[in-house]
Amino acid sequence: MSRGNMFLFQLMNFGTLHSVAFFIRLFLVGFGIYQDRTMVVKYTDIDFHVFIDASRLVTLGESPYNRSTYRYTPLLAWMLSPSIYLTSHFGKLLFVICDVLSGVLLYHILTLRGLSSDAACHFSALWLLNPLPIGVSTRGNAEALLAILVLSTLLCLQLKRHFTAAFLYGLSVHMKIYTVIYALPIALFISNHKDLKNHYKGVFRIIQSLFSKDLALFAAVAGAMFLGLTLTFYCMYGWDFLQETYLYHLTRRDIRHNFSPYFYMFYLTVESEFCFVLGLVTFLPQVILLLLTSLAFYADLPLCCFLNTALFVSFNKVCTSQYFLWYLCLLPLVLPHLRLTVKQGIGLLLLWFTGQGLWLAPAYYLEFEGRNTFVIIWFAGLLFLIINSVVMVQIINNYIPKTIVQQKKKMK
Amino acid sequence: MLSLYFVVIGLCFIFSGASQEDGVGCGFTSSWLESVVMSMKLTKQGFHRDLVYEVRHEPTSHPVKTLLLHRLPNGVYMDQYQLADLREEMGLQVLLDSALDLEAPAHVSSAFSALVFLSPPEPLQAAVPVHGRYHKASSSGGWERVVIEPPRLLLRSEHCDTVNPGIPHRVVDAPCTVQNQTLCSWLEVHGLQVPSVSVKLPVGDSSLIIPVCAVTTLVSLLCSAFLFRAVWKHGIF
Repeated sequence: MSRGNMFLFQLMNFGTLHSVAFFIRLFLVGFGIYQDRTMVVKYTDIDFHVFIDASRLVTLGESPYNRSTYRYTPLLAWMLSPSIYLTSHFGKLLFVICDVLSGVLLYHILTLRGLSSDAACHFSALWLLNPLPIGVSTRGNAEALLAILVLSTLLCLQLKRHFTAAFLYGLSVHMKIYTVIYALPIALFISNHKDLKNHYKGVFRIIQSLFSKDLALFAAVAGAMFLGLTLTFYCMYGWDFLQETYLYHLTRRDIRHNFSPYFYMFYLTVESEFCFVLGLVTFLPQVILLLLTSLAFYADLPLCCFLNTALFVSFNKVCTSQYFLWYLCLLPLVLPHLRLTVKQGIGLLLLWFTGQGLWLAPAYYLEFEGRNTFVIIWFAGLLFLIINSVVMVQIINNYIPKTIVQQKKKMK
Repeated sequence: MLSLYFVVIGLCFIFSGASQEDGVGCGFTSSWLESVVMSMKLTKQGFHRDLVYEVRHEPTSHPVKTLLLHRLPNGVYMDQYQLADLREEMGLQVLLDSALDLEAPAHVSSAFSALVFLSPPEPLQAAVPVHGRYHKASSSGGWERVVIEPPRLLLRSEHCDTVNPGIPHRVVDAPCTVQNQTLCSWLEVHGLQVPSVSVKLPVGDSSLIIPVCAVTTLVSLLCSAFLFRAVWKHGIF
């Protein structure tokens, strides 16, 4: 083994990997403070200032929604209140810690799925050393909180700790409403988990299994968690809370440029009468695909959640780069089961980045140079959807569902 | 607080000249007022611009306070939170008369006023970030021009009463400083020849509505079908 490989080997050791990941992030938080003080272009994301403003309002006993564009749960503002009393960098430290803890969770899920410790380290490194999540958490975005909730829900489900899983899942839906797309696969997973050799087949098995005791417990706990939090915050902050945390995201149709393939169409038709019909036409493929993927892959929950999220984000009416993290945190769980060679994998990755780059260039010219690049952005958005679809199809085609294949064979 | 701004703006239109007591001889003279020059320009490109104001005048024995009262059209907005940060970082002193929606397109937004306080040392200048709003798509695409008229220039001397030196100038009431929003008498300087500036914002081309809808829907359906086939083939039902 060459010296370089030895070094890499040691780096991938669990403790080292996580410490390196943590210190890289810590360094960038420090660098961010320096850049914010000295340079015109700020390192810290605008959202972080929104969180801090909302948090300040909460500590003063006011509603966090008095800060316009705060569209998150009040829990987040509360969680960040030490930022007001101690240091404004507390929030970033919290996000960074969550980011690294997500890596720990990935490692545990991967070892539970039968990977060796070294292999699990390699794959969780794809999250821990990935510049995208590193950038997002150190710039002060809260996506890592959600990654931790989603991954710990998956881990608990794999360990059959349904009560804890339900608690965490209820909390994740409260934090970010999109996680509701995991409800069907999780329900199917819980109820079908034990008895795959049920004598019913196909759809009947699925319907019958929806009435299991485990599932009832899960639904009750997750539902109580979600409704409890919603009701509490509704009583505290009223309609503002519902509007900003949930309804805004459900009804959001931002006409400003974003990664969604539908952006230009909605911009042009925003006030026309067939806008509603178009909304439906674009909503249906998303729903049908989500239902089908849930039914097809629920037995392998990480794959199913990954595909559901990627589908949801790619076909969504609004899509910003933060949304990519929603599925990126699940990617390390899917990759070990792919039949792809390293070359093919890198090819797909490059394709995905090219798609993003082709969108970002005209978007920059529109926003900062005032060029009329709407048509190019529209094309780039469509191309990005096509690229996302190709990547997803490649993942589906090359996936080796080990446990399921074995179970199927036994059934036959 | 906001209602106070409205009152202030309302009051700014009211003459208050008659009741002014005579100053102590340090007010603005007509000849000095002729030396006052104001300029306004837009820097940067695209949707995120800086409005750069500059006021110059002949030196005076007493410090002169300057306030720009700027009515801005609904095609642009200022971000009160960004202004608050800039106030902390660079001492930029700007008040807005109303809470603005930072995301709404131009046609559902309204015009607003910004009060920009300029402090010595000279030259009196400020760069205030202003952002373009999305506009309705037009039948020919291209650009929408948002014209920004020059602000009204108000001056006040710290230690003297403000006296009307005569037409074309007049005395108006406006907040004293950015912190102290009680009203002071200011002298509004007229006759400044400041050209307006304009922001050219790209707009969508509504003549493309049919091809855009058709191609978008088609691509989205084809991608869905492509994915549907893969899931159907490899899924375990």
